[in-house]
Amino acid sequence: MSWLRPRRLWHPAPLKRHYEVVIIGGGIHGLATAYYLARTHGIRDVAVLESHYIGFGGSGRNTAIVRANQRTAENVRLYDEGLKLWAVLTDELDFNLMFFNCGTLNLGHSEAAMNGIRMLASTHNLLEVKSEVLDPQQCAEVIPGLDISDRPAFPIHGGLYHPPGGIVRHDAVVWGLAKGASAHGVHIHQGCEVRGIDTRDGRVTGVRTSQGAIGCKRLGIMAGGYGSAVAAMLGIELPIHPLTIQAMVTHPLKPFLHHVFSSGAYHVYANQTLKGEIATGAHMDPQVNYTTDATAYYLKHQAEALGELMPALRGVRFMRIWSGLADMTPDMAPIMEGELGYEGLYLDAGWGYFGFKSGPVAGKYMAEYMSTGQRPDILRAFQLKRFLEGRYSGETASVMKYGHWD
Amino acid sequence: MTFRLTCPVCGKRDVYEFTFGGQERGPRPEQEGLSAEEHFRWTQFRLIPNEPQEEWWYHGQGCGVWFKAKRDPGTNREMR
Repeated sequence: MSWLRPRRLWHPAPLKRHYEVVIIGGGIHGLATAYYLARTHGIRDVAVLESHYIGFGGSGRNTAIVRANQRTAENVRLYDEGLKLWAVLTDELDFNLMFFNCGTLNLGHSEAAMNGIRMLASTHNLLEVKSEVLDPQQCAEVIPGLDISDRPAFPIHGGLYHPPGGIVRHDAVVWGLAKGASAHGVHIHQGCEVRGIDTRDGRVTGVRTSQGAIGCKRLGIMAGGYGSAVAAMLGIELPIHPLTIQAMVTHPLKPFLHHVFSSGAYHVYANQTLKGEIATGAHMDPQVNYTTDATAYYLKHQAEALGELMPALRGVRFMRIWSGLADMTPDMAPIMEGELGYEGLYLDAGWGYFGFKSGPVAGKYMAEYMSTGQRPDILRAFQLKRFLEGRYSGETASVMKYGHWD
Repeated sequence: MTFRLTCPVCGKRDVYEFTFGGQERGPRPEQEGLSAEEHFRWTQFRLIPNEPQEEWWYHGQGCGVWFKAKRDPGTNREMR
């Protein structure tokens, strides 16, 4: 009856006093980096330190949407590769990540937005990423129930349909990557909070944690929205505002919503989970903070916005609300950097609300960066110094924007 | 949970009546002789440790006053 015995996905490991690589943050970015370090680059002496439990942060607090329909070529290329990794990882990790490539529909509510959407489609087609422009009638065919009349405050002018996008079970990604990393020898330490970073002669030498000092040669800050607080331990200033972004689910309904839809104008994205709930976000609180506070204020906003776009949902009840951190950069593109003034120190942060979709691909390239010390070509667009040289990513021109930050 | 801030004119009010104005960072650097890099750094780079900070708030949906408050970004609580 050995099949009845519960089997752990990953194994508790002794906390060693020194590792070749320490990664701060047991979310999908940190776990994916550890996984690829061990699997692809043969660096198995790796510890992932997580202050709460793995997946506590953004990895377990997103709305599970994945897509590769960004505005700029450098971003689309990265997310497109990321999108293709879900199927590969499902196989490689031997764990069902429940990737459902149902397609996403981003709505435009003005002619200006439609022009933006046309530019998105052209950019995607140029890079051989599937996207097409739909008129309002076609939008209603893809998402029955959308109000395409001129009644809403922001009427629907059309949309961008992006078939390869969809949803992935976010907890499964965390667990699958933990399983894969652990199988390759990575130590995962939960409840291990980093309180300080030690350096000597311009080199990283280790971290001070709630479970004592741990030495390392290379250190990766991959703490999602908490990245700026970790960098602050070394006095490193970053162009990042950590903001809470709120999301919620309704009670379960019969399957009726077969694609993800979103609206920048209404600050709404929504999908129906496999359990039948409508998972929807998102509003961002404008003050920097590291909490997981959710508020009735945005619950009301979300109900109003969702009811405007899809009147049939009026009266449907919300069951749960939560929030996670979005680490916003001024140009809506991430920072993946190994030149921070300390040898051996690497940062993977500033993903905003794109942290979930990018997890595995970011991990793949951060692992390459950390193992070779050479910046992979695909990461050249995401250097920290671009902000000091006035070379911003053009990502803010995207139609899909869900918040405000300074 | 939402939280309240103390407006010096109106007293404790819900945070959604206010606009966040960012950290208090002292006077703006002199424009004279300011390099582009220093300017960009001042404009965009921040140190945001997980500890109470002094910041600016605007009571836009109230009396319209700008004021400084001390708040803990780890708990969203105002420190008096």
